[in-house]
Amino acid sequence: MQPVYDPRGVVGAEKKEVAARIKSLDGLRLGILDNTKWNANKLLRELRDQLQAQYPLAAVNYYRKESFSRFADPALVEKIRSENDIVVTAIGD
Amino acid sequence: MSAQLAAAPATSVADSADLIEWYYEQGYSDGLPVVPPTPAKVAAMLAALGGEPQKVEARVPPRWGGLTREVLALNMVMAGCKPEYAPVVRAAMLALCEPAFNLNGVQATTHMACPLLVVNGPLARSIGMNAGCNAFGSGNRANATIGRAIRLILLNVGGGWPGELDKSTLGHPGKYTYAVAENEALGLLAPYHVEKGFKAEDSTVFVMAAEPPHSVTNHVANDPQGILDSICSAMSTFAHNNAVSSGHCAVVLGPEHATTISKHGWKRHDIKNYLWMNSGNKFRELAFEHRYGKVYNRSLPVWYKRELDSHIPIVPGADNIHLFVIGGEAGRFSAFIPGWGHMTSPVLREIEGRAGPARSGPRCVDGTCYL
Repeated sequence: MQPVYDPRGVVGAEKKEVAARIKSLDGLRLGILDNTKWNANKLLRELRDQLQAQYPLAAVNYYRKESFSRFADPALVEKIRSENDIVVTAIGD
Repeated sequence: MSAQLAAAPATSVADSADLIEWYYEQGYSDGLPVVPPTPAKVAAMLAALGGEPQKVEARVPPRWGGLTREVLALNMVMAGCKPEYAPVVRAAMLALCEPAFNLNGVQATTHMACPLLVVNGPLARSIGMNAGCNAFGSGNRANATIGRAIRLILLNVGGGWPGELDKSTLGHPGKYTYAVAENEALGLLAPYHVEKGFKAEDSTVFVMAAEPPHSVTNHVANDPQGILDSICSAMSTFAHNNAVSSGHCAVVLGPEHATTISKHGWKRHDIKNYLWMNSGNKFRELAFEHRYGKVYNRSLPVWYKRELDSHIPIVPGADNIHLFVIGGEAGRFSAFIPGWGHMTSPVLREIEGRAGPARSGPRCVDGTCYL
């Protein structure tokens, strides 16, 4: 017999629960996260306008990532979490 | 995150098994045959890395696989590395995994960029890296296998498999291997790492997310301006990523060009400043004269004027041009290497030890002092 090896290394990660799904948008605070890619703002502004026109949202908040390719600043994620009930993001390449 | 990391599981196959085919079947190859690891080869590589096979050196995105020394050793053996290359590959992986580099984005992007590695200092020479004739090409074991080891790690540990976590539209040949050394032996300019505050006797790795080299031909000019104008011409298109996404780029002077330039007394800062000042585009080109709607371009710095005739530099400052002398003694050629953009920062680190220059305060390179 000849030994063989797995060169991939182990991924150590904990499973996280997905947030409970919402049933209605009525009265919720909507957060929009613009990832700053070329056309993300165009796509997200249109989406925001359509949602605002159709649903009685309690608030609409717009946020920008510093760089489309890097992780959002943890402080920004925390701010979005505290100020919103639902969040929409998109890349708009 | 779980702190527990198991050893890379070893198993065994029949003596009659073709190991090269076995590694292909598992999907552990870059497309070329790998060197099947043997216990003796893995042990020698681990010894060169300092033992402790379960020590985690880094986690490699976007899969975030644990790069233990054992896993590092396995991929280096598979790439064909000698144990003496171990410090270079490890330092390169540590540099690539620094947050500033944003390896997560480099691995996953639709752009073709991939890590370019440039080694400076005595270690590059002692392990036999090619900084001379055909340095970016084939034919040198150290260049070929150091770059290949990095690629195998980015694939196997980082999970950058084409179409899965690597979404590059085209890729480029440097995704097999893209590792060179600076040609310091000619002594034409201060070495790159000395410009950045290291000592000449330090050995360093520089990593940058890079497009392939674009050749710059100039068989006419006998002064710095003429040669550098040709490089500026290569830089001043609006097709490459720096033009539209800013960031960092590299310029490689071939030795004949570098000789002419240094004979006129020009130093690193003169060359970089000339290149920066005399390259660029008009905003009207980047905006396509607003033919497809009003263009602002959020990937360029906020302080650029965006009027149609505004001059838009290729990178925001001369220090974003990383200058190297590389290549063989004959041939009036240089190269421009565009980067990926503002989404990544190049990283320079000492190969064994410090993550950055130890000294603070003014440093003087080629007659110019910097804070």
